[in-house]
Amino acid sequence: MNELRDLARQLLTDGTVRVIIGWEDGRRGARPVFITDPADADKLIFDTRCAHNLVTYLDPRRDDVVNLGRIGIVVKGCDAKAVAGLLREAQVARDDVVLIGVRCGGVLEEAELREALELNADNVAPRCYGCDNREPALVDYLVGEAQPEPPRPTMTIDERVAALDELPLEERWAFWSEQFSKCVRCYACRQVCPLCVCELCVADKTRPQWIEPAAHARGNVSWNITRALHLAGRCVGCGECERFCPVGIPLTLVNRKLQEIVAQRFDYVVSDDPEKPAPIGDFRLDDQQEFIK
Amino acid sequence: MTDSTDTRSERPVSERCFISEAGLRDLTADLLESGTEVIAPVAEEICASPSAVASAACRMPGETPVEIEYRRLTDAAELDVSRGLPVLSLKGFFLPEHEALFCWEQRGTTITIKPVPTTFAPRVVLAAKPCDSAALEIVDKVMNWGHEDELWNGRRAATTIINLTCPSIDESCFCTAVDLAPDSTKGADGLLIPVEGGYLFEPSTDRGREFAEAHKRHFASGCGGEEHRNRQAEDERAAARTRVAANLEIDAASVRDWIDTHFEDPLLAALGARCNGCGACTSVCPTCHCFDIIDEQTGVGQGTRRRCWDGCQSRLFTLHASGHNPRDTQGARYRQRLNHKFAIYPLKFGEVLCTGCGRCTRVCHAGQDLVEILAAIDVAARRPGTTTSPQEDGGSSAAPPAEEQVAS
Repeated sequence: MNELRDLARQLLTDGTVRVIIGWEDGRRGARPVFITDPADADKLIFDTRCAHNLVTYLDPRRDDVVNLGRIGIVVKGCDAKAVAGLLREAQVARDDVVLIGVRCGGVLEEAELREALELNADNVAPRCYGCDNREPALVDYLVGEAQPEPPRPTMTIDERVAALDELPLEERWAFWSEQFSKCVRCYACRQVCPLCVCELCVADKTRPQWIEPAAHARGNVSWNITRALHLAGRCVGCGECERFCPVGIPLTLVNRKLQEIVAQRFDYVVSDDPEKPAPIGDFRLDDQQEFIK
Repeated sequence: MTDSTDTRSERPVSERCFISEAGLRDLTADLLESGTEVIAPVAEEICASPSAVASAACRMPGETPVEIEYRRLTDAAELDVSRGLPVLSLKGFFLPEHEALFCWEQRGTTITIKPVPTTFAPRVVLAAKPCDSAALEIVDKVMNWGHEDELWNGRRAATTIINLTCPSIDESCFCTAVDLAPDSTKGADGLLIPVEGGYLFEPSTDRGREFAEAHKRHFASGCGGEEHRNRQAEDERAAARTRVAANLEIDAASVRDWIDTHFEDPLLAALGARCNGCGACTSVCPTCHCFDIIDEQTGVGQGTRRRCWDGCQSRLFTLHASGHNPRDTQGARYRQRLNHKFAIYPLKFGEVLCTGCGRCTRVCHAGQDLVEILAAIDVAARRPGTTTSPQEDGGSSAAPPAEEQVAS
């Protein structure tokens, strides 16, 4: 922790950055914090409650953050993948941001706690299991001690996706219809997604209105399917959409299924290497395109 | 403002009647039998699915398998006077997430408008949260400001609301700071107070008294005179009020005046960075009532004009056709939310547009904490000319020091 705080203090003091975006202890648990005064660097924490993917604050359209000045940001491995996504899509320039990587052993599924807990099969965020980026490479600094692998959750996301896949189509559709029917169209999933950075989201387009804003079956299915497809090959699996969803739609299952399809069809796994082009921005002569008849 | 003395407790005891757990269930069965819609908080599985496999796959390890929601009961046995806070408030039963305002049909140059019904069958809400019923009475004002909203008023007129004393949920509750209480009957027709073996029912309106009269066979005969139950009820209410009051005490009038006169204050401007603008707070809020009106083409020459929930935290909410946006930053949008709730609405309608339910704080995983923000504004309002960042002030001590409360 001191390593992180000392580094933040130094970067702010020597003027390398104007703000450090990290996590602090809030009244209800860990939460994002914007440190602009070196004297406040001791507020920074990193523990199993630090689930919030702070990279959503790097959206260049967030004037409130941009106006704070040059950013230093604390990133876990999954967060670093989101930075790589923004670099690939030319949303931020690598030199405009200082990345402080933290070695991460996974986070809690329920992160709003006054005290950090040690991870176990029941409390670990299932998305952390099998993480391939616990020590992010795409960073300027890497702090913290080496962490153990996140524990295996009682049921992994892959197992859950597989269980749903085995259901007959009608039952699977009934399940997702029920889940999407809960959607109140607040768009929290979009707002917290570090990769949802469109100047004008398709859901907000009114001329023509591509996606019906009403929270009925038509509107909800078209929004949720569109959101998922727009993240195909881009989603880093940080799980923030699901965590912020006020009505508890299991969006991680949708995202993981898409990751699986993208891996199969395009031999692509999202990483924190910004040089590796994503399928959406790449064309290969050997792409599988047998579906074009 | 936060004086917890409640004159309701001085009402004649004879107005209170005891109803047992079984009596309340029988009463519910009667209502359902007679075709009356009954709405009550129900603890339901988050991953409800006809498929056990899907249900298991959907559930997170360690996750509470149930969440509480207001639901239309289909059977009296479902009544599980659960005392937790439903995820969504009662608002959706009066202002649905989306509803048709009218349908239209065009043939040649003739346009036919088909209205929607604005009268509704009688229905009863049982065990409503006081913060949710109060919100309805507060929102009544804007729904009847200039234009009388027939759909809102129709549903309000058709609905008998019986509150259940709230034990207070957690550190995000602050109803007592906005002149309400966990045993408030604002917006409701009566109150159920849990006592040994059942509830004391205390009507607060004529409709509540008529409700008790109509169902008197389910109440204990000879209401009143049950000293120990009355004492138990009073203790229960007082304890709940004390618990909530410990979370936050503010002077709402000072907060209103401070917000109204500090539009550009750095304290408010600093709140924009953390906010993701996700709009979850406005969705779960019992008093947020903004809506968007859209036209849905449902076929050739026909369509539906529909209103849908909308919220001030989205950029699109104030985006003009010209491309100009008067609230172009998240800071401006978050300030608007505070301003509308704690200054604009009180100045216009004499009531704070917030019932202290704390849902916005609980739902915000970015840690935008209204309890802490109000405490910081309250401190700023008491010390003219100075401001305190809520991040610096509120973290450890949400409520201002006791001596300052006395000084005001």
